[in-house]
Amino acid sequence: MYIVQIKYIDTGYIPKLVRFNSSVSGVFVNRNPRNLERLRIARKPDGYHLEKPGRKFWHKLVLTPTNRTVKAEVIHFVNGPIIEAKTSELALRNQLYSITDTCAYKNLGKVFAQRCLECGIMEMYCDIEAVKGGKVEKFLNEVEKGGIKLQEMEVYKKPEPWDRFRPEKPWEVTEE
Amino acid sequence: MRGKPPIFCRSIKERLDELNYKDELYTKRTDIGFPPEKKCASTARINRLEQTKKNKNDKSLEQLARKGILEIDLDKSKEDWLASLGPLHKKQIAEHYAIYEHLYGEGFFIPHLHLDIFYDLKDGNCLPVYYGNVIKPAEALESPIVSFESDGNTLWTLALTNLDGHLKENNKEYVHWLIANIPGNSIEKGDVIVDYLRPFPLKGTGYHRYAFVLYKQDKEISYDLPQITTSSPLEDRTFSTRDWYKMYQDNITPIGLAFYQTDWDATVKDFFHKTLNQKEPIYEYDFPAPYIKPQEWFPLREPFNLYMDKYRDPKQINKEYLLRKLKNEDPFKTPPPPLKFPNAQYLPRNMPSWLKLHEKKIRNHWGRVNDV
Repeated sequence: MYIVQIKYIDTGYIPKLVRFNSSVSGVFVNRNPRNLERLRIARKPDGYHLEKPGRKFWHKLVLTPTNRTVKAEVIHFVNGPIIEAKTSELALRNQLYSITDTCAYKNLGKVFAQRCLECGIMEMYCDIEAVKGGKVEKFLNEVEKGGIKLQEMEVYKKPEPWDRFRPEKPWEVTEE
Repeated sequence: MRGKPPIFCRSIKERLDELNYKDELYTKRTDIGFPPEKKCASTARINRLEQTKKNKNDKSLEQLARKGILEIDLDKSKEDWLASLGPLHKKQIAEHYAIYEHLYGEGFFIPHLHLDIFYDLKDGNCLPVYYGNVIKPAEALESPIVSFESDGNTLWTLALTNLDGHLKENNKEYVHWLIANIPGNSIEKGDVIVDYLRPFPLKGTGYHRYAFVLYKQDKEISYDLPQITTSSPLEDRTFSTRDWYKMYQDNITPIGLAFYQTDWDATVKDFFHKTLNQKEPIYEYDFPAPYIKPQEWFPLREPFNLYMDKYRDPKQINKEYLLRKLKNEDPFKTPPPPLKFPNAQYLPRNMPSWLKLHEKKIRNHWGRVNDV
C-alpha cells in the first residue's frame, strides 16, 4: 500500500530550466517509501481519536511482557512489526541472569535503541504509561539514553497564503 | 438515517482493505538467495539450556543482577545476533525500506553474510553503514572500507547502486561502484568495472537510498559492461539491477546487504558544478492545491477584501505587497529600525476598520506579507 508517489516540481519556471539544463527532467519522483515520513509530510492515519490506543503514528514502540520473555517492537502503521528485540533471543539471554528482571529490561532497552539507530529510525510514538520507578520506566529511560526520541513530530502542513504564520520547512533546516 | 445500519455496513478497515487489495500475482515474492543453513534443533536446545544453567549458577552474575547493575557486552550481543536472528531482522527492515522491490522486483533474499562497511572520516573516526542509517554526502566522498568473512577460494561481486537518484528515469538506478571477481575478502584485488562515485542526493528531494549488495560467484565471470571511470559521463552509469541480475543469475547469488540513506548538503552543489559541469537542479515538493469553493455573486458574511483575494491571481497580490515594500526603501539610506510596539502606532481616525486590520497584519508580519 506504501506506493507513495511523490511529485517534485522544479522551483520557478520549468521551460527555463529545461533550456538551461536539458539533461534533467522537470518532475522528480523519489521512490524511497520512508522519505516522506522523514520529511514529515507523509499521511498519518488520523480519525481514530475515539479509540483508546491511539493510531496516529508512523512508527510506534510496543512492549510486550509475558511470563517467559519481554519483547520490544517497532510497529509501522502499514507494514506492521519492523524491528524487534526479545530477551529470549540468544543475543541477550546468553549474558543475562534472568530474562524478565529489571536488568533484563534495562539491557533490552539498550539493545533495542541500538537496533533502531542502525535502521535509521530515530523517532517513534510511544503511549506506554510506565509506573514510576518500575521496570518499564527503566526500559524507556535506557531507550531514550540510547538516542531514540519517544515522540513523533506533527505532520508539516503547507501554509496557505491567507494563513498567519509560515512555519519552517523541515527539509530546509540545516544542521550546525 | 444516512447509509446502512451499523450491523450491515462495513467498517473503515474492511473498506480500506478492499481498496488496497492487490492480486497474488503482484504480491508473490521469490527467494533468489541461498537457503538458510540447517541447524540441529536439539543441539541448539541443549546448548541453550546449558548456557542458562551456567548463568543461573554464576554467583557473581546473580549479585550484579540483584543489585540491578548487570550490563551486557553490546559487541558480544551483536555477534550473537548476527549469528542467529540478524539475517531475518535485516530482511525485515530491508522490506520496510522497499529495497528488494526496487532492486529485484519480485525477488528477495535473506542476507546471511554480514557486510562490514565503514566510511573513513579522516579524523580517526569511522562511519559504519548498517541498514538504513543516515550518512551525509560530505562523509562519503571516498570509497568505503568493505570487509566480510570469506574462505580464500570463493569469488565475489560487490555493487553499490542508488535506488532513488536517477535524474531522468525514475525506475532506473545509477551504479556507483561495481567490483567483480573479488578473491577472498580483498576488495582491492578485484576487477573494478565501475569506479566509485560519491552520492549526490538532489536538493529538495529528501532521502535517497544507496544499497551495497554482495554476490557470491560460482566461477570467474566477465560482465558484459563497459568500463566506467571517474571521468565517464553520468549517463553511462544508468543501471537496472534487475535486468543485470537476470542475465547472470545462473552464476551469481546475492548473499550480503547493507544500505544507507543520504540527503542533500553543500558538497552536492560543488559536485554538480565542478565534476558534472552543469547547473545543480533544485526541486520542491508539489503540495496539492487547496480547495477554494466557487465564487458567488453575493457572498454573505464574508470579509469582502479577504474573499476577493482568494479569487485573484496570487502573483498580482504579491506584486502589490512588493511594490508597497519597495516604496519606502532607499538604497542609499540605512533602513529604519523595526517598530518596537507595532500595535501601538497611530492609525488615522477616519480609516475603515478593515484597512486598519490590514495595516496591523502587515506591521505584525502576519499572512501574505511573508510571501514577498
